[in-house]
Amino acid sequence: MVNLEEIKKEAKKILEEGKVKYIIGYAKSSKALMAAPAFVKKPEDIDKLIWDPTCFQNLVKFLLDEKRKKAREKEPDTRPVGIFVKGCDSRAINVLLQEKFITREDVYIMGLSCEDLGVLDEKKIFKKLKGEKPEKIEFDQRKNIVISTKEKTIKIPLKEILAERCLECTSSFPVISDVFWGDRNNRSPKEPFKSLEQIESLSQEEKWDFWQQQLSKCIRCYACRSVCPMCYCDECVVDSINLAITADTTAEEKAQKIKWIEKSPESSENFGYHLVRAMHLAGRCIDCSECERVCPVDIPIRFLNKKLEKVAKELFDYKAGLDPEQPSLVSSFKDEDPEDFIR
Amino acid sequence: MEKILTKKSFPAWVKKLQSYTVYSPEKQENLWSYEVIQNPDKLNLEHLNTVLAPKKITYPQREIFLQFNTSKEGKPQIKEVLPEEHPAVIFGVRPCDAKAITLTDKVFGEEPKDPYYWSRRNQTILVGLTCNPPPSPNCFCLSVGGSPHSKEGLDILMTDMGDKYHIDSLTKKGEKLIKAAENLFKPASSKDKKELEKIQRESEKKIKREVKDIKNIPDKLKDMFESPFWDEEAMSCIRCGICTYLCPTCFCFDITDELTSTLPLKGKRVRTWDTCQFPDFTMHSSGHNPRPDKASRLRQRMLHKFQYHVENYQDYLCTGCGRCISLCPMGIDIIEILNKVREHE
Amino acid sequence: MAEEFEPKIIAFLCKWCSSAGSDLAGVSRMKYPPNVVPITVMCSGSVSPLYIFNAFQKGADGVLVSGCHPGDCHYIQGNFYARRRIALVKELIEYIGLEPQRFKMSWVSAAEGKKYTQIIQDFVQELKPLGPQKKLRREK
Repeated sequence: MVNLEEIKKEAKKILEEGKVKYIIGYAKSSKALMAAPAFVKKPEDIDKLIWDPTCFQNLVKFLLDEKRKKAREKEPDTRPVGIFVKGCDSRAINVLLQEKFITREDVYIMGLSCEDLGVLDEKKIFKKLKGEKPEKIEFDQRKNIVISTKEKTIKIPLKEILAERCLECTSSFPVISDVFWGDRNNRSPKEPFKSLEQIESLSQEEKWDFWQQQLSKCIRCYACRSVCPMCYCDECVVDSINLAITADTTAEEKAQKIKWIEKSPESSENFGYHLVRAMHLAGRCIDCSECERVCPVDIPIRFLNKKLEKVAKELFDYKAGLDPEQPSLVSSFKDEDPEDFIR
Repeated sequence: MEKILTKKSFPAWVKKLQSYTVYSPEKQENLWSYEVIQNPDKLNLEHLNTVLAPKKITYPQREIFLQFNTSKEGKPQIKEVLPEEHPAVIFGVRPCDAKAITLTDKVFGEEPKDPYYWSRRNQTILVGLTCNPPPSPNCFCLSVGGSPHSKEGLDILMTDMGDKYHIDSLTKKGEKLIKAAENLFKPASSKDKKELEKIQRESEKKIKREVKDIKNIPDKLKDMFESPFWDEEAMSCIRCGICTYLCPTCFCFDITDELTSTLPLKGKRVRTWDTCQFPDFTMHSSGHNPRPDKASRLRQRMLHKFQYHVENYQDYLCTGCGRCISLCPMGIDIIEILNKVREHE
Repeated sequence: MAEEFEPKIIAFLCKWCSSAGSDLAGVSRMKYPPNVVPITVMCSGSVSPLYIFNAFQKGADGVLVSGCHPGDCHYIQGNFYARRRIALVKELIEYIGLEPQRFKMSWVSAAEGKKYTQIIQDFVQELKPLGPQKKLRREK
């Protein structure tokens, strides 16, 4: 069992000892169903920390900001940052360590096991509430969520409103940590990629219709990219800002500048962006499914990344984020790699 | 002119508007969105807040300005591309979104007037719907000078009265729409008008969130430019752009050239939405970026909406629709920030 | 009589083997369909998924990536990386519903001019019934 008071005690202790600069954790937000990231610098503020199924954000994203901030300071504070991670989030840290984007001394990992549950999916709950605003929520011991709106109070078993990724989770506890709460029971779903079947079973034209319909909704807000801890490139392939345009820049120079993907939300460009992003995340995506959660127009982005995750597992026996020492998927090879598709 | 239209006759009215492109809210999977009506009999005005405001029709995300080509002799040829003739009617416009359109009207109406914006705007008729109940749990239109039954920017305001609609025609364009199917409408009786007032009072009471004493906030913000307050508030921002892309009042854009060939040089000059929350929005060609961090960008958004726009146009650049609050992935809440600004020393 | 559809194929050929192989086909006056636009890259391992998607965006009806046989790469391992990466691209292209016949990979050595012509011939025959590629193509 994960005890919130023990977590707060440890958090207070490391802040008082000055062991960490600050702690990134979860606190209540103005929305009942969603926790908000909290940045606790002073020991007296640790009471705002919470831990429950509303804590679904992937906090590893904020480690990237920390690195950028340190790069701009003349005498940076070299103490680590404390961060609360769930099972999926911890694998994101492993990928960042593997790619040497951060060092092990940059983080003090406080691991929280989801045990046999997970995090809730806001969209599933809104469907059940049919437009009413949740005012207050509580989690009772029998693993239900009790939601009070202005009109009524309803009780839903948590298993019905868990996020899709939690239903397919293979490791619900952090694989890397400095301190740890909860149990380390492995979950072995019989078919970890079952959710892909709904798309894989479609015919070729049906697949195209599905993706065409979904990706035409894209407004290129880049929320999926902004929330992903693995998208840390200073200049993304869609941003192409590296040409200084002055009054003297000729039309030819502007024309010859390589721009792979235009800014307009046309179908071809939306496909280009999402496909390239899926390729760049091959072997790196750890399925925290934040990209799908934040999408304002409900595009099932997770299915793109999950497909490559499945290919990586089935063709190359590779799983992202398990070991910071493993090589990356696309810059390694095995002699047994399949080549039956090559003439 | 106040009229009554039964809900049964509503599809018949829409069917008479063949010469217009008619938009209305439509539910696509789980989200509401303004789309061209396919079947007037299936019209549904019980929508929650749409993800994208009707500004996507008057000010679309992608707009072609001009096409350029090179002739055989190597001379440049430029052709202006104005939007096509497109008389449009949008049903189910929330008063906050209509007020937002009047705000963007002011910005694009300054000299020189934007011909692309106005050739669409002049041909668009906005038919509003009183918000009863409010379409979002985060509505706060009353705090920013709006109301759930405000008439600003609308050509007609409809109010749901159970089995019928109260139709309030506010402009000549609105009257023209009503004349298209005059026989379907009855004049509103004094009983209807009393009922309308009751509904309007009720609708105001249902707005739950508010920003108190907003009048003091522009001056407060003026003194807070250098404050570390913004560093604290912006820590959980992930600079995704959702708040600005979904905002009905945001209007910043980028102009890019999309080439179809380099030899000969051929392509289009295109305007697309852009957002001040992207890190490279203010990147100079020297490489310097005056807003390099999240704190300065959050500060920009707040100050633009609640100080700069007030100074330039005497109105808040926010109509209280609540979309940014509902959809911010990290729970950044504009009402909470304003309340904290008010309490700030 | 209506004009028969001529598919346009973009071929990314590695300089040391496949591009030399295609040159051999030309020098030996071997006949093969003119539908190919060859682009020489230094190594098949340097072919980024962006090139492939961009080729489709610009209107290619088919894309071919060709490199040295495993063990013969001028840069020792480049084609092994290509083997992995192109496998991923191929799975992704099939998954989104683009016809899988439109994207191919091959090993062609500098001596295999004949093999190259056969690959192109077969590719063109496969693409003709599919018609022009409209799904990922940019609007004009």
